[in-house]
Amino acid sequence: MEKVHKPKKVFVQGPISPDFVSKSIASHQSKTEIGAHAIFLGQIRADQKPDGTVTGIEYSAYEEMAESAFHDIREAAFLKFELSCMHIYHSLGVVPTGEISLFVFVSSPHRRAAFEASEYIVEEIKANVPIFGKELIGESGNYVWKENK
Amino acid sequence: MYYGMLAEIAGQANEVWNADRSLTVGEFRDQIVERYPALRDKKFKIAVDQKISQDSILIDNASEIALLPPFAGG
Repeated sequence: MEKVHKPKKVFVQGPISPDFVSKSIASHQSKTEIGAHAIFLGQIRADQKPDGTVTGIEYSAYEEMAESAFHDIREAAFLKFELSCMHIYHSLGVVPTGEISLFVFVSSPHRRAAFEASEYIVEEIKANVPIFGKELIGESGNYVWKENK
Repeated sequence: MYYGMLAEIAGQANEVWNADRSLTVGEFRDQIVERYPALRDKKFKIAVDQKISQDSILIDNASEIALLPPFAGG
Protein backbone atom coordinates (compact mmCIF):
# COMPACT_ATOMS: atom_id res chain seq x y z
CA MET A 1 0.00 0.00 0.00
CA GLU A 2 1.84 3.01 -1.35
CA LYS A 3 0.38 6.05 0.28
CA VAL A 4 1.82 9.44 -0.45
CA HIS A 5 1.65 11.90 2.41
CA LYS A 6 1.81 15.50 1.37
CA PRO A 7 4.30 17.69 3.19
CA LYS A 8 2.37 19.63 5.79
CA LYS A 9 3.10 22.93 7.40
CA VAL A 10 4.45 22.28 10.88
CA PHE A 11 5.57 25.68 12.15
CA VAL A 12 3.22 28.12 13.78
CA GLN A 13 4.15 31.55 15.06
CA GLY A 14 3.97 31.81 18.86
CA PRO A 15 2.22 29.43 21.28
CA ILE A 16 -0.20 26.68 20.22
CA SER A 17 -3.55 27.44 21.81
CA PRO A 18 -5.69 24.89 23.69
CA ASP A 19 -8.52 26.01 21.40
CA PHE A 20 -6.51 24.90 18.35
CA VAL A 21 -5.89 21.52 20.04
CA SER A 22 -9.58 21.02 20.78
CA LYS A 23 -10.61 21.98 17.24
CA SER A 24 -8.09 19.46 15.91
CA ILE A 25 -9.69 16.74 18.02
CA ALA A 26 -13.19 17.73 16.89
CA SER A 27 -12.17 17.59 13.22
CA HIS A 28 -11.58 13.84 13.55
CA GLN A 29 -15.11 12.91 14.61
CA SER A 30 -16.05 11.95 11.04
CA LYS A 31 -13.11 9.51 10.77
CA THR A 32 -14.86 6.59 12.36
CA GLU A 33 -12.18 3.99 11.63
CA ILE A 34 -10.14 5.67 14.39
CA GLY A 35 -10.33 4.05 17.81
CA ALA A 36 -7.48 5.81 19.61
CA HIS A 37 -5.85 9.22 19.58
CA ALA A 38 -2.61 9.95 21.37
CA ILE A 39 -1.67 13.56 21.98
CA PHE A 40 1.62 14.90 23.22
CA LEU A 41 1.87 18.53 24.27
CA GLY A 42 5.20 20.14 25.09
CA GLN A 43 4.83 22.97 27.60
CA ILE A 44 7.44 25.61 28.49
CA ARG A 45 8.84 24.99 31.96
CA ALA A 46 9.90 27.79 34.35
CA ASP A 47 13.36 26.31 34.98
CA GLN A 48 15.61 27.98 37.53
CA LYS A 49 18.89 29.22 36.06
CA PRO A 50 21.79 30.88 37.85
CA ASP A 51 20.56 34.32 36.64
CA GLY A 52 16.86 33.80 37.37
CA THR A 53 13.72 31.99 36.28
CA VAL A 54 12.95 31.08 32.67
CA THR A 55 10.01 33.20 31.43
CA GLY A 56 9.73 31.71 27.96
CA ILE A 57 11.60 30.22 25.02
CA GLU A 58 12.26 31.97 21.73
CA TYR A 59 12.42 29.34 18.99
CA SER A 60 14.12 29.61 15.64
CA ALA A 61 14.85 26.96 13.03
CA TYR A 62 16.67 26.11 9.86
CA GLU A 63 13.19 26.02 8.42
CA GLU A 64 13.67 24.26 5.10
CA MET A 65 15.77 21.48 6.59
CA ALA A 66 13.40 21.23 9.55
CA GLU A 67 10.33 20.88 7.31
CA SER A 68 12.04 18.06 5.42
CA ALA A 69 13.13 16.41 8.70
CA PHE A 70 9.50 16.55 9.89
CA HIS A 71 8.43 15.03 6.59
CA ASP A 72 10.92 12.15 7.02
CA ILE A 73 9.72 11.53 10.57
CA ARG A 74 6.10 11.40 9.38
CA GLU A 75 6.94 8.96 6.60
CA ALA A 76 8.93 6.72 8.97
CA ALA A 77 6.13 6.74 11.55
CA PHE A 78 3.50 5.80 8.95
CA LEU A 79 5.69 2.85 7.89
CA LYS A 80 6.44 1.74 11.43
CA PHE A 81 3.00 2.02 13.04
CA GLU A 82 -0.59 1.40 12.01
CA LEU A 83 -1.77 5.00 11.87
CA SER A 84 -4.85 6.61 10.39
CA CYS A 85 -3.44 10.11 10.56
CA MET A 86 -0.80 12.28 12.11
CA HIS A 87 -0.38 15.99 12.79
CA ILE A 88 2.68 17.77 14.11
CA TYR A 89 2.85 21.45 15.05
CA HIS A 90 5.80 23.30 16.53
CA SER A 91 6.13 26.93 17.58
CA LEU A 92 8.54 29.52 16.27
CA GLY A 93 9.15 32.82 18.04
CA VAL A 94 8.44 33.41 21.71
CA VAL A 95 6.40 30.96 23.76
CA PRO A 96 5.90 32.06 27.40
CA THR A 97 6.18 29.57 30.27
CA GLY A 98 3.06 27.50 30.81
CA GLU A 99 2.14 27.63 27.13
CA ILE A 100 2.37 24.94 24.47
CA SER A 101 5.21 24.78 21.93
CA LEU A 102 4.78 21.26 20.50
CA PHE A 103 1.60 19.42 19.56
CA VAL A 104 1.86 15.86 18.26
CA PHE A 105 -1.44 14.20 17.43
CA VAL A 106 -1.58 10.62 16.14
CA SER A 107 -4.66 8.52 15.45
CA SER A 108 -4.97 4.79 14.95
CA PRO A 109 -7.61 2.08 15.02
CA HIS A 110 -5.98 0.79 18.25
CA ARG A 111 -4.29 2.30 21.28
CA ARG A 112 -0.91 0.55 21.19
CA ALA A 113 0.13 2.06 17.85
CA ALA A 114 -1.03 5.50 18.96
CA PHE A 115 0.97 5.38 22.22
CA GLU A 116 4.11 4.06 20.56
CA ALA A 117 3.98 6.39 17.57
CA SER A 118 3.59 9.50 19.70
CA GLU A 119 6.66 8.63 21.77
CA TYR A 120 8.67 7.76 18.67
CA ILE A 121 7.75 11.03 16.94
CA VAL A 122 8.56 13.23 19.94
CA GLU A 123 11.96 11.57 20.44
CA GLU A 124 12.79 11.93 16.73
CA ILE A 125 11.85 15.61 16.76
CA LYS A 126 14.05 16.29 19.78
CA ALA A 127 17.04 14.49 18.25
CA ASN A 128 16.85 15.27 14.54
CA VAL A 129 15.03 18.51 13.73
CA PRO A 130 17.18 21.67 13.52
CA ILE A 131 15.21 23.85 15.92
CA PHE A 132 17.03 26.18 18.31
CA GLY A 133 15.79 27.76 21.51
CA LYS A 134 16.76 30.72 23.63
CA GLU A 135 15.58 30.37 27.21
CA LEU A 136 14.58 33.90 28.21
CA ILE A 137 15.40 34.78 31.79
CA GLY A 138 13.71 37.36 34.00
CA GLU A 139 12.85 40.82 32.70
CA SER A 140 16.40 41.89 31.99
CA GLY A 141 16.81 40.50 28.48
CA ASN A 142 19.18 37.75 29.66
CA TYR A 143 19.00 34.36 28.00
CA VAL A 144 20.75 31.03 27.68
CA TRP A 145 20.71 28.71 24.66
CA LYS A 146 18.75 25.53 25.28
CA GLU A 147 20.09 22.08 24.42
CA ASN A 148 18.02 18.88 24.31
CA LYS A 149 19.34 16.11 26.55
CA MET B 1 24.45 29.99 7.25
CA TYR B 2 24.78 30.31 10.98
CA TYR B 3 22.08 29.41 13.46
CA GLY B 4 21.40 30.10 17.12
CA MET B 5 24.41 30.96 19.22
CA LEU B 6 26.70 30.39 16.23
CA ALA B 7 25.15 33.36 14.42
CA GLU B 8 26.02 35.48 17.44
CA ILE B 9 29.62 34.30 17.33
CA ALA B 10 29.94 34.90 13.60
CA GLY B 11 28.12 38.23 13.92
CA GLN B 12 25.94 37.37 10.93
CA ALA B 13 23.44 34.80 9.69
CA ASN B 14 24.82 34.35 6.19
CA GLU B 15 28.20 34.46 4.60
CA VAL B 16 29.71 33.46 1.27
CA TRP B 17 32.71 31.20 1.79
CA ASN B 18 35.27 31.28 -1.00
CA ALA B 19 37.81 28.48 -1.21
CA ASP B 20 40.57 28.10 -3.75
CA ARG B 21 39.84 24.38 -4.09
CA SER B 22 37.17 21.88 -3.09
CA LEU B 23 37.11 21.30 0.64
CA THR B 24 35.97 18.39 2.71
CA VAL B 25 33.62 19.12 5.59
CA GLY B 26 36.53 18.58 7.98
CA GLU B 27 38.75 21.08 6.13
CA PHE B 28 35.90 23.59 6.07
CA ARG B 29 35.42 23.09 9.81
CA ASP B 30 39.12 23.86 10.38
CA GLN B 31 38.90 27.04 8.30
CA ILE B 32 35.80 28.33 9.99
CA VAL B 33 37.19 27.73 13.46
CA GLU B 34 40.32 29.59 12.40
CA ARG B 35 38.21 32.57 11.30
CA TYR B 36 35.98 32.44 14.40
CA PRO B 37 38.11 31.05 17.24
CA ALA B 38 35.16 31.26 19.66
CA LEU B 39 33.63 28.32 17.76
CA ARG B 40 36.42 26.06 18.94
CA ASP B 41 34.77 25.06 22.22
CA LYS B 42 31.20 25.02 20.82
CA LYS B 43 29.37 21.90 19.78
CA PHE B 44 28.01 22.12 16.26
CA LYS B 45 27.10 19.97 13.28
CA ILE B 46 27.60 20.92 9.67
CA ALA B 47 24.82 20.41 7.15
CA VAL B 48 25.67 20.52 3.45
CA ASP B 49 22.62 21.13 1.28
CA GLN B 50 20.43 20.34 4.28
CA LYS B 51 22.09 17.02 5.13
CA ILE B 52 24.16 16.57 8.28
CA SER B 53 27.57 15.64 6.88
CA GLN B 54 30.58 13.77 8.15
CA ASP B 55 34.05 15.32 8.00
CA SER B 56 35.17 13.13 5.09
CA ILE B 57 32.47 14.39 2.70
CA LEU B 58 33.69 16.59 -0.17
CA ILE B 59 31.69 19.83 -0.51
CA ASP B 60 30.53 20.71 -4.05
CA ASN B 61 30.84 24.23 -5.34
CA ALA B 62 27.79 26.38 -4.60
CA SER B 63 26.61 24.16 -1.78
CA GLU B 64 24.52 25.59 1.02
CA ILE B 65 26.45 24.99 4.23
CA ALA B 66 24.81 25.44 7.62
CA LEU B 67 26.40 25.41 11.07
CA LEU B 68 23.91 23.96 13.50
CA PRO B 69 24.21 24.26 17.29
CA PRO B 70 22.56 21.62 19.53
CA PHE B 71 18.89 21.09 18.75
CA ALA B 72 16.28 22.32 21.21
CA GLY B 73 12.92 21.42 19.67
CA GLY B 74 10.02 20.20 21.75
